[in-house]
Amino acid sequence: MHSQAQNTLPNTSKKVNNEAGLAIINSKAPYSSHYGKDALDVALIFGSYEQKVSLFFQGDGVHQLIAKQDTSLLSIKDYLKTFAAFEFYDIEHVYACQQSLLTRKLEPSFHITDVQVLSTTEFSAALNHINMYCGFKT
Amino acid sequence: MNTLAVVITTPPYSPLTATAVNYVETALEAGIKLVGVFFYQDGAMHANEHISIATDEYQAIFHWQRLQQKYSVPLHVCATAAEKRGVILGELTDEVVNKSFTVSGLGELVELTSKASRLVQF
Amino acid sequence: MSTLHLVRQSAFATNDFAQCLNVVNQNDAIVLMDDGCYNVNHTLINNLLKQVGDNINLVASHAKARAIEANKMIKLIEMADVVTLTFIHSKVITWQ
Repeated sequence: MHSQAQNTLPNTSKKVNNEAGLAIINSKAPYSSHYGKDALDVALIFGSYEQKVSLFFQGDGVHQLIAKQDTSLLSIKDYLKTFAAFEFYDIEHVYACQQSLLTRKLEPSFHITDVQVLSTTEFSAALNHINMYCGFKT
Repeated sequence: MNTLAVVITTPPYSPLTATAVNYVETALEAGIKLVGVFFYQDGAMHANEHISIATDEYQAIFHWQRLQQKYSVPLHVCATAAEKRGVILGELTDEVVNKSFTVSGLGELVELTSKASRLVQF
Repeated sequence: MSTLHLVRQSAFATNDFAQCLNVVNQNDAIVLMDDGCYNVNHTLINNLLKQVGDNINLVASHAKARAIEANKMIKLIEMADVVTLTFIHSKVITWQ
């Protein structure tokens, strides 16, 4: 469904989550605050209770998704590798803001599969469809 | 009936917490059913019995206790967030955790949101 | 569905308000509260007016404490109105 092509943005059918559930926006970079890890903990706990969770990454939050990072070079816990468990917890919807990637000169190359890169309009529409929100330094 | 769950992530000494308490109290006075308040991240500090704020400053913890007593609002503090911030659990729980708070897991947040029609975070 | 956005930070200091603008939909409502009150004088407020029209609210006591004056396009409200708005819209996003 989603390409990992280095130089083009994926041309996908944008599946919008039109269900009840929880939306979490990540807007902080991964390594200088605990917000990303705290958001992940909440996402996984809702997933483990079989509640639908959709994750939105915008602003510096998109850095949490980018491939080829190496947390082992820092002394902190590598919580990004736990993103691989999203499928196991039924966290199906992971959205990245296209504009945030472009502004930061980031290729849409992610360390997990099934990231939907959305335009600003699509991103806000996807968020609009979800009926509950929990955030960590939005 | 309008039901509400609230998450608090700001610490007791933050001016932002005063606004949160004001919102919660206003909701309670309006007859909104508050199913619970969940204290996460820096909000976990509200449960720390040993936090002492100068008497001429805003007494967030006193106000949470007051609301808990008046309206029987459950105050849940996330165990992991609390321990990270020096609220020692285990044998010392009774001495360290403010009696108005219940120590809970993150799962409690899921329970609260399932019972409430709205979730608001401060 | 529509969303209530609680903006608690100044756009002159953080990018929370800009990020809020990025996801706002035309039926949403915004409440400027705490340092979010400073945003009435930020250029981004014009973008917001175009997107949500008269659905921008300012908590009167927070604005007055900061000597911020509202303008005709922005509604002055009290905390009770923030509670009411919570239940008018489907969900609440806090920008802090």
